[in-house]
Formats: sequence, structure tokens, C-alpha cells
Amino acid sequence: MSDKHNAQEVESGEPVSRRKVLAWLTSMGLFGSAIVSIVSNLVFIKPRATYGKPTRFAIGTPEQFPPGTRIALGDQKVAVIREGDKMAAISVVCTHLGCIVGVADTGFACPCHGSRFDQDGNVTGGPAPKPLPWYELSLAPNGELEVDKGKEIESGKWFTV
Amino acid sequence: MVYGMSKNNQKNNFLNTVTEMPKAIWDSVFRNNLPHTDLGRSKTSFTNFFLHMHPVKVHKHTLKPWFTMGLGLMSLFLFMILSVTGVLLMFYYVPSTTQAYDRMLDLRGSVAFGVFLRNMHRWSAHGMVAAVFLHMCRVFFTGSYKKPREFNWVLGVGLFLLTLFSSFTGYLLPWDQLAFWAITVGTAIAGYAPVVGEQMRFLLLGDTAVGQEALLRFYVLHVAVLPLVMTGMVAIHFWRIRKDGGLSRPDDADIVITPMPAVAANVMPATIEQPQLNFLSKARYGIQGLVRGPFTKVGNVPDNTVFSYPNLLLAELFVFVLTVAGVVLVSAYFNAPLEEPVNVLHPPNPAKAPWYFLGLQEQVSYSAFWGGVGIPAIEVIILMLVPYIDRGKKGVGKWFAKERLLANTLFLIFVVVNILLIIIGTFFRGQNWEFVSPF
Repeated sequence: MSDKHNAQEVESGEPVSRRKVLAWLTSMGLFGSAIVSIVSNLVFIKPRATYGKPTRFAIGTPEQFPPGTRIALGDQKVAVIREGDKMAAISVVCTHLGCIVGVADTGFACPCHGSRFDQDGNVTGGPAPKPLPWYELSLAPNGELEVDKGKEIESGKWFTV
Repeated sequence: MVYGMSKNNQKNNFLNTVTEMPKAIWDSVFRNNLPHTDLGRSKTSFTNFFLHMHPVKVHKHTLKPWFTMGLGLMSLFLFMILSVTGVLLMFYYVPSTTQAYDRMLDLRGSVAFGVFLRNMHRWSAHGMVAAVFLHMCRVFFTGSYKKPREFNWVLGVGLFLLTLFSSFTGYLLPWDQLAFWAITVGTAIAGYAPVVGEQMRFLLLGDTAVGQEALLRFYVLHVAVLPLVMTGMVAIHFWRIRKDGGLSRPDDADIVITPMPAVAANVMPATIEQPQLNFLSKARYGIQGLVRGPFTKVGNVPDNTVFSYPNLLLAELFVFVLTVAGVVLVSAYFNAPLEEPVNVLHPPNPAKAPWYFLGLQEQVSYSAFWGGVGIPAIEVIILMLVPYIDRGKKGVGKWFAKERLLANTLFLIFVVVNILLIIIGTFFRGQNWEFVSPF
């Protein structure tokens, strides 16, 4: 305290009163506590755990998806597509504002704001800023296909069965 | 000796104590009888908690119905109706994804006045968005945001945003299709905000997608946080009206029509002398004179005011009755919509937000960032800065004053463009948000 007093005295050339130092310390203390309480409130309302679904899940054997299949798996919000022996898992969540796009033979269409995508999920019209993401597809040892929504892959990178 | 006598009297008149008790209780609650004199009117305004937020006297110009059209008051009364009906609805509501929708159906089937209360709540909410917006238009077109009322305008813009946010959080609670998809889209828009967008969305939803956590969070915001914040801000908004000199009025509103006596005779009995002030040596302060600020009237100041009690109160009562009657009538004839229960896989087609968000929805159908974040943010910032940009002193307190042609025209364009966007979103958008003709 007295060090601080002396330091300020030297800097400004004028003596700093005890009252001023105390007032300064008190204001800083109050201001600091306000900041700390705001930050801790933000920390508090940010959930540490969520109850979402697992990002990796099995969808069944390749035989369940004959060539020409284009279906949406509702619970997982993923469309499974098979052309010949090539397969892909494409997200059905619109990249615009999160509505679920409809799956048709010609592509995908969003009912909310009219975004349209081609068969591979590339944007062909509307406000969507990005193509629909593709997810990694793999064959688990038990013969079932597995989708990992945690891993986005390049569009057009098909999985061959 | 006097003390002893009075004690004696009390003892001797126990009967009196009993018979006078009702009056004593009444007098302790209401300090004044219904006033019949100006002094009484002043005292009533001053000593009653519910009236003391009014000035004792109010300018005649303030009471002109077509100047304010009662829009601010209407917003307040709708807010009160929303609070009352909202608390009543809370008795039967559970913020749970498995129960919320069933509780909505219960309102229809097994709660007395359930449908009516929900109608009142929904239509008042719509009405409040409209009333607050029109109130803002009134304040702009009469130039009432100018000095010294700049900050109250800023508070007003804040209250408008809070009104929209309250309405938005309320929309999720029925957990029907409209609720789910409006909130999915709305929070996705928040995610487009630069830097903090994704964090903000996560804090709002408490999860990565709209679900139980989001429902609970929106419920808490809707029934506790936002109403409290709004009540506080409304209080400051009203207090500032007084401290900023009452409602705005044109310069010529203070021209003396009937010359006032130096000191109104009927205020005399409550006056006190202020001998220190030589230049006002003859002045006496009425009750309202004790309060510093723009309403202090000392003797020979031009006075074009009337007593708030009953003039202002009657005007307020008129707006109140009109507002309640309007809400009750609409609620009796139109039922608040309830769509199918949430289906997280099939957005309704077209998925439309409530009407006052359809302008925004139309904007985001061109660009999510610019339509949903960029342009609205710019609009809000400009709105809040209006009083600090337009600093001309002329044209205050008059509708569409000639001196304010430019400002009024710009604001009118802003209003018309937004209304047009809402009309396009409401009537000209069909399946997959494609352009359709309503005719």
C-alpha cells in the first residue's frame, strides 16, 4: 500500500491521498466482482453435458439398401443413397437455417425458404450457403453399415460396398 | 395535561373507538377523500402510490387524443393483460416435451376458460407487438425523440426488441409444429452472427438442436427473465417521461390562453414561504412546486395545464377499457391456432413464422447472414442512434412537421419496406417458399 502510494507520488509529482487510493481500490474491487459474476453466470448457463444422440450409429446391412435407394433415416437426420455398389450418407438438415429437406429422386428441397440441392447435395437454388454435408460411411465387422456424423467427408467421395 | 385528557377520552369512548374503526382503517389506507378542490386533487396525486407516477398537473396538449392515440398506454395495458393471463396459464402448463402439447389440449378440454385465456394471451401478444411498433412510429413522426428525450427513445427501441424476444420465446411453449420450426429457424439465424453466433445459439438452446433443454430455457426466459427486465425498463421509461418534461409538445403550446393569477387561490392553504429567494419574494410554492424539474410552476409562469386527477386518469381509463374490450372481443371470436404436435422430421410446408417475423423470414430467404443478422443489426443500430444523428430542434410535438420532411420520409420508407416484406411473406409465399399469387 505504501509502496503504491510512493510510486504514484513519484509518477504524478503530486501526493496521492490515502482516500484516493482506497477509492480506486474499492472501485476496482467492485468492478472486478461484477465482471467475475457475469462470467460465472455465463459459465453456469453453458451446459457441460448434453443429452444428444450418439454421432456414430449403425444403419443396417448393405442388402437392406438395394441399388437406386434414396431414403431419409428420420431419427438420424441422414439420407442413405445407393447407386449401383456406391453408397453415401448425406445430411438432410438444410445448411441454410436447419429445416429438414425433402428427399426426392431429383435431389433435395427445403420447405422453409426454398433452398434446392441436386442428387449429390450441391446447391442448385435458394439461399443455402453450402452443400449438404456428406458423412463417413463404413462397414462394421458385424456386416452392418455405420455412419459417423462426427466426420464430414468431401462431397462425391462414395463408399463402395 | 392535554396528554392525560386525551388518554382519558380514549378510555371513556371505547365505543367510539369501535364505531369509528372502519373509518379509521379507511382513512389510514386512503389518505384523502375523493377530491373536490384543486388542493385535494394535488394531494390525491401526491399521496397515492398508484397515482404518484403521474404529474399533479398535465399539459393540455398531452391530452389531445390524436396526438398520442394512447399507443404507449395501450402497450402497457397489453403487457399487464399478458402478465395476468400468463400467470394463470402457468398454473396448467408444464415445460416438458412430452407434456406441453397435451397441456395445450387440456386447456381446450378440461380447464375452465382455458381456450379463452390462451386466446387472450396470444392475441394480446400480437397486439402488443403492433402497439409498440405503432407507438414508435408516433414518437418518430411527431419528432418526440429529440433533446431531452433521446435516451428514452433508446430505451423504447430496447423495449421493442424485448417485446419481440418475449413473443419469440413464447412461441416455443405449445410445442406444436409452428413452435418447433419457428424456433429451429430463429435460433439458426442467431448462429449466423459473427464470432459469438454459434456460442449464442448453444447457450440459447442448451443443446445442439431444439429439444427439452431449449423448451426449459425458453420457458424460464419467457416467464421470469424477460418480464422482469421489461418491467424494470418500463419503469425507467415512464420515469424518464416525467423527468424529460412530460410528453413532447410544440413550442406554441405554452401560449397563455387564459391568464393565470399569480398564485392560484385554491392552492394557497398548502403553500410555504421561500423568503431567501428575493426575486421570487412574492412567490409561494404549491405542493407541486416543491418538486424540482420541468413541472415546477411558480406563480406567473404561463400555464396551460390541467389537473391529472381526473383529466389524465379519465383518458387513461378510456384507453384501458378500449384495450381490454378489444382483446376480449377478438379472443371471443378467434381461437389461437394450435398446429399438430412436433414432428422433428417434417417441417410444415410452407413453414411460416408469426406475421411479425415474416418480413425477417422473407429477408433470410435471400441471404441468411444479411437478411437475418446484418440488415436487422444495422437497422437497430441506426434506430438507436436516430436522436443523436437528427439533432435539429424544429418540428417537435407536431405530426409530420414540415421542418422534418427528410427524417419523416426516410422513416416512412423504412416502415413501408418492412410492411411490404411482411405482406410478401404472408400472402405471396407458398410451398417451398415459392412465389405464389394470392388472387
